[in-house]
Amino acid sequence: MTNSQFRMSAAEAEQPPVVIATGDIDLANVNEFQDVLTSAAADSDAITVDLSDVTYCDSAAVRALFAVAATTKLGLIVPATGTIMTLLTISGLDRVATVTTRD
Amino acid sequence: MHRILERMQSDLLDALGLAITVHDKRDDEQPSVLAALGVGADFADAQLSGTGGPVPDALAYQVPVLSLDLWTDDRWPELTLATMRERAPEHESTWEQVHGAAAVPGVWADDATVVVCCTLSQPASASTVASLITYEQLVSAALITTAAENASAIADIITVLQSRGAIEQAKGALMGLVRCDAEHAWKMLRRASQEFNVKLRELAVALVEHISGAPAEQPDTGTPITPDERTREAARLMWAALSEAPLAQ
Repeated sequence: MTNSQFRMSAAEAEQPPVVIATGDIDLANVNEFQDVLTSAAADSDAITVDLSDVTYCDSAAVRALFAVAATTKLGLIVPATGTIMTLLTISGLDRVATVTTRD
Repeated sequence: MHRILERMQSDLLDALGLAITVHDKRDDEQPSVLAALGVGADFADAQLSGTGGPVPDALAYQVPVLSLDLWTDDRWPELTLATMRERAPEHESTWEQVHGAAAVPGVWADDATVVVCCTLSQPASASTVASLITYEQLVSAALITTAAENASAIADIITVLQSRGAIEQAKGALMGLVRCDAEHAWKMLRRASQEFNVKLRELAVALVEHISGAPAEQPDTGTPITPDERTREAARLMWAALSEAPLAQ
């Protein structure tokens, strides 16, 4: 499944599938985001979600990430500083997902 | 609401406490616990009256909040086992079992939010949050339905919760005076507040202060309720009428 904003790269040797998100994730497109996450997690016991190029994300995205983390081992790639990191810390999502920061 | 909590409890086997907290900002009210099971009410009240915790954070930031181990969580240094022991010593053995917690917020009307929170004997997981998300939708739907049926019902419930202490005291006093049960005492309070056209919570505070001659018990959070002269007069009349003819009711 691909679209302009949420891309998924298939699992490669020993590596879980990666979902790359860009732009804003909010109520308007969170269902799409959730669908991509669900299909990425369907055939794998782990996925990585790259949020490095996400400009805005809110509660809706955090819910979607918690939902996918409930069934799959979740890895997150996020900017080291900024609102996304703050959101992960406030919500405690950083305690159940493996967070890798990128400068 | 209680039925929803009971279903949650059968779903979350590790739950030591569950609470539904509502915050209706339209009336400038403080958040209050709408329904709870186990240690849920004590735990939510503590968080709202200063220790901080998943419930106020979920309300403030409108994101789900998860904790693996509450007492050691660096986000809420004041929320500790010692604090909870002191606040609610009757649950001491439960507090010692507490590990994780999760809270999920929702919005059910303009400026009106709700948080569903659970306290667990195990670390909370993403599944805990996922399951609370489902129940939050159920709770919000129930609140929306209730609000649609009776716009003032929810506001009533919230304001009543604000003054729970005083209302309980007033009910107790009435039960003693008229020798009736709690339900009957509650109806008398309601009727009197309607007849005198004063707010029930203010009447309860006025009644307690009239009987005891001392300030009524009020929660630490929020603005203390100060009944006006008309309400105090209503309380005096109500008490006098009931004292003269305790069997008339």
